[in-house]
Amino acid sequence: MKKVNMLLLTAVTALSLTLAGCSGAKNEPAAADQGDKKDKVKVRIAYWNKEESVKTLLDLVKEKLPNIEVEYQFIDNKQYQNIIETQLTAGAGPDIISTNPYTASRYAKLGYIKDISSLADRYNDGGKNVYSVDGKLYALPGISWFEGMFYNKEIFDKLNLKPPTTFEEELALHETLKKNGIKPQAMGAKSWEPMMKSSMAFVMNDFLAKPENKDFDVQYAEGKTKLDGNWNTAIEKWSELIKKEYLTEDMLGIDYDQALDEFATGKAAMWQSGPWAVETIQKKNANLKFDMFPFYGTEPGAGWLIGGPGVGFAANSNSKHQEEVMQVLDLISTPEGQQAFWNDNKGGSSYLKGVEFEMPEQFASVSETLKAGNVYAPWNNWGNASNVIEDYGKYFQYVLSGKMTVTEALQAIDKKTAELIKAKAE
Amino acid sequence: MNTKMRLLKREFDYQILILPVLIFYLLFCVYPFLSTFYYSFTDYSNMKLTNLKFVGLENFIGIFDSDLLMISIKNSIIYALLMTVFQTTLGLILAVFLDRKLKTKNILRSMFFLPAVFSPLIIGYLWSYLMSTSDFGLINSAITALGFEKINFLGNPDLALYSVVVTQLWQWTGWAMVIFLANLQSIPKDLYEAAEIDGANSWRKFWKVTLPLMQPSVNVVAVTAMIGGLKVFDIIFALTEGGPGNSTETIMTAYIKTVFNEGFYAKGAAFGVVFFIAVMIITMVMMSFLRKWGENTR
Repeated sequence: MKKVNMLLLTAVTALSLTLAGCSGAKNEPAAADQGDKKDKVKVRIAYWNKEESVKTLLDLVKEKLPNIEVEYQFIDNKQYQNIIETQLTAGAGPDIISTNPYTASRYAKLGYIKDISSLADRYNDGGKNVYSVDGKLYALPGISWFEGMFYNKEIFDKLNLKPPTTFEEELALHETLKKNGIKPQAMGAKSWEPMMKSSMAFVMNDFLAKPENKDFDVQYAEGKTKLDGNWNTAIEKWSELIKKEYLTEDMLGIDYDQALDEFATGKAAMWQSGPWAVETIQKKNANLKFDMFPFYGTEPGAGWLIGGPGVGFAANSNSKHQEEVMQVLDLISTPEGQQAFWNDNKGGSSYLKGVEFEMPEQFASVSETLKAGNVYAPWNNWGNASNVIEDYGKYFQYVLSGKMTVTEALQAIDKKTAELIKAKAE
Repeated sequence: MNTKMRLLKREFDYQILILPVLIFYLLFCVYPFLSTFYYSFTDYSNMKLTNLKFVGLENFIGIFDSDLLMISIKNSIIYALLMTVFQTTLGLILAVFLDRKLKTKNILRSMFFLPAVFSPLIIGYLWSYLMSTSDFGLINSAITALGFEKINFLGNPDLALYSVVVTQLWQWTGWAMVIFLANLQSIPKDLYEAAEIDGANSWRKFWKVTLPLMQPSVNVVAVTAMIGGLKVFDIIFALTEGGPGNSTETIMTAYIKTVFNEGFYAKGAAFGVVFFIAVMIITMVMMSFLRKWGENTR
């Protein structure tokens, strides 16, 4: 009998040890800091970028809001949405949630995040619109991101080349470079992103910027219109880049890092990317002189950059510290807050009214484009269909390898969009 | 009576020790597994997390309408078959060769086994540089130096899947070799002596003595290669991310994409159920085939 008792005891102890991991941990910190300073409230903020990318901002919060202790939680981008969504479903989650436009609108509809329209007036429309649902603001538009065409100034000077002002000039530029034995542009087309962005940027110039197509993206999100039949002419024109072999099948075997290497070491004269790449380029080749020009269409103009508001900060509607959360969001929505945020994200611009930053020299040639506000990413307005961009890019890989025509690719993308919209149209 | 009771009690004593693990297993393995079956019949998605509706077989029909999922099934089958056949045969050849009395035997064995030590993510990173078409791509630099055209290993939709298979054979053949070597060394030497007395040459000795007695290890290697091949994920993720286009999407990468990127939880669950049943059938057929082969050769 004694032995049975012993065994039972062992089993129960082992079991309790196993299950102990499931509970407890979460509640402990709150109890622990009660003795510390009773007024200090802990506000948890989750983001998919490392703490360094918001460090100055966090320091500012610490300085300006002594009653709040910010707990920063980094979650890797690949797992971010998954983890946050599980927490939100359980009625928990961080107090301040970093989102992108599509998830923000989804969370808003599900009631996970709070209406923060009281701060809306401080931001200009470009940033506000993508984070609004039914005219109500649900997340603060962060520092913008954009992507244009970096070019190697030395190579351009040596061959007497100037940044283009139209797509035709850009093609001619490619030709001259190619004739001189220089790879015109590097592209890490192994990823689905660069071709997707490059082609959409042309569509933005030649199709979406026209007044009659102002509502195209919104209608596309609702399934009322299609890419096939609308984008064909523009994309066919863009595909001159492929037909003239400036973009080649080779590039499907090159990834982002390798393309960056080619540009940084002067093997290729141009490369399409954004502010986040500057530091790495300079690390690889400190002497490289480079600048950026925007994407152009057939008509001359200011050109367009692909991009939009970066991360959006939203307030969890289940947070226990609503007031403190609003204090933090309020601080971010001041020129001081934006400056602190920008400090670790140089190159982007702020959507807060009246705030402008001095651009680093690498972006001199896109200043006109930025001033004109020509920064846009169509899929930010595609709602439930915005995830289709990955398929978009993948079908364009088939176009580059000659397995699909432009029309076939657009039709395949439309099919996927229909699937995405239909399944979630409740 | 008394002994029987005591025996029963003893068994009970031991089994109670399993309880914690059993509960853990039920909670974190069996329960999620069964809930996958349940969700596959609902309209669960990232837009509909509560008030789930029963939708019958809709999700299962959806699988056949999706280009991505169909291509991924095809790719996974090609991948698994190639891996099974080549990993087994190449591993066997290596093992037989390195079972001989060679001076460099141990060094060679370690060299062939070494790639299996690394994580597929590292292997993927390494090979994506080796196979790159940029000027930094080692293999292509060699090819162009010899005066041939560059080969677009990972960027050509017709070639990419096979390039992935090559890297994985490079990584895992050594592992199969080790299993085969262990088996080879357990074959009694007197069988070979008897065969020699009967006048068998080394070719016949391999077919009539070695191979039949290798059946248990061939069984293990072939079945694990098949199952591992069908659920391949990490190397694809590291090497091609399913591209170019969908040409290297496998069942697992397509599953992850459907569930986590697109938020079609229920459809993903249905795909998971189909995958589970398919793997079970394939494994059963293969096992019975291999068992028959074992019986015939004995």
